[in-house]
Amino acid sequence: MSEFRDLALPMDEAAVRSLRAGDMITLTGEITITAGLPTFQRIADYLDRGEALPKDLTGGTLFHLGSYSRETEAGFEVLYMNPTTSTRFNPFMPRFIRQFGLRAVGGKGGLDAASAKAMQEVGCVYLSFVGGGCPLLSDAIRGVVSVHWNDLIAHYRLVTLRVEALGPLTVGIDAHGNSLYDQLQDDARARLPEIMAGLAAARGGAA
Amino acid sequence: MPITYDLMRQVTAQLYSWSLKKVPDDTLEALRLAQIAETHPGAKRTLQILLKSAIAAETSDRLVCSDSGVPVYFVQLGTATRLEGDIKRAIRDGFDELVRTHKPPLLKHVTNPLTNERGYHGKDMPLITWDVMDGADYVEITCQPKALGSGRWAALEIFSFPTLETIEAYVMDCVLKAGSQHCPPVLIGVGIGGSFDTAAKLAKLSTLRKLGSVNPEPILQAMEERLTIAVNKTGFGPMGTGGDTTTLGVHVDYASGHGFTPVAVCFNCWINRRTRARIYDDGRVERLE
Repeated sequence: MSEFRDLALPMDEAAVRSLRAGDMITLTGEITITAGLPTFQRIADYLDRGEALPKDLTGGTLFHLGSYSRETEAGFEVLYMNPTTSTRFNPFMPRFIRQFGLRAVGGKGGLDAASAKAMQEVGCVYLSFVGGGCPLLSDAIRGVVSVHWNDLIAHYRLVTLRVEALGPLTVGIDAHGNSLYDQLQDDARARLPEIMAGLAAARGGAA
Repeated sequence: MPITYDLMRQVTAQLYSWSLKKVPDDTLEALRLAQIAETHPGAKRTLQILLKSAIAAETSDRLVCSDSGVPVYFVQLGTATRLEGDIKRAIRDGFDELVRTHKPPLLKHVTNPLTNERGYHGKDMPLITWDVMDGADYVEITCQPKALGSGRWAALEIFSFPTLETIEAYVMDCVLKAGSQHCPPVLIGVGIGGSFDTAAKLAKLSTLRKLGSVNPEPILQAMEERLTIAVNKTGFGPMGTGGDTTTLGVHVDYASGHGFTPVAVCFNCWINRRTRARIYDDGRVERLE
């Protein structure tokens, strides 16, 4: 996948702002992932109490990826990972993006306008991972940095991994306020009268 | 030799495991055709990545998706078969054994909707739809694990004496609501008529039909063709990041009803998990897909 631009993590603001919605990239470095709503609630509770997270997310990444982790004698191993639907984390994301100065978030399906606004302010992108990309995404794992909150089920834990050439990932929302998701939804709604007219024409007299 | 508890337990567990590692052949073919036809460069590359992932999973015995969903089975009992033992319990026991032994281990997805707690077990799990086939000397079992990613966007509305225009407008409404979210390109199932539960069941059963198969009802055949074109004009594209391929196909079925007409719409994500086998009355097992 050398045809894609590989970005080293942590990314600085300039690197993030150089990306445009629709670009396809890969990532190399440390990523933090979780797929649990209870995990996001726990992060919010830590912020409310002014308590430090077990893994500092400042200037880093937070992806909506589920993973299978298990403890072995040699420490934690992560067997596989894959994205989950991001929109259910919408209520948490603007706060987390601003508070931690996140440089990249992601999963699948995008985030809402409030998150896109926070991303534009801070200098953060949303990256779309392919759903059903488990073998390809898992092959990018080079090591497990940490696994926190092991009282939670595997895919809800706060997992930090070292990855190499993870992706390709599509920039779904860039740091300039452009969201492919909002744009595609707007375009589809604008096109709907024409699409319905096409259906009526295809039905002939059937309607 | 009747169809036994042991056979039923083994076959249903195997079907579930296979479905997690193999994208069905008709779906792979549809993705290949879409990849050739796609005019959006990013979408074309995304489709290539999806195909690469499917092939990697199949050839290296790995999961296509980390979300193995919850076990969903459709069982058709032939009336010329003999059953021995607790056939229903066999499916549950097969799933229990699978989650204890599966490689790689599966995540806990069975969710209690009253508490949102997740585990491997729960009330009424696996989800099974039973039906009877007159004269058949086999039991046919289809496994279609289901997860939130695409399951979340299914919908049903009840109309009275709707026109085809009303029905198609509702399908498009559901498509726009799902937007980029359901891991497109999706297979869309539509059920029309019967009562509340009939329409939902017909929509689900429609997603079990092979892509490329022809609807025997001419009105629905034409509806499927024009809805497929209409959905792909929305432009959401593979993984919802833009392109010509939002659906691989729309499948529609109907039942007669009373005039209050439920219309149900459901979605299968691009991996379109589906495996099927028959257990014959003589104990033979035939894997159909």
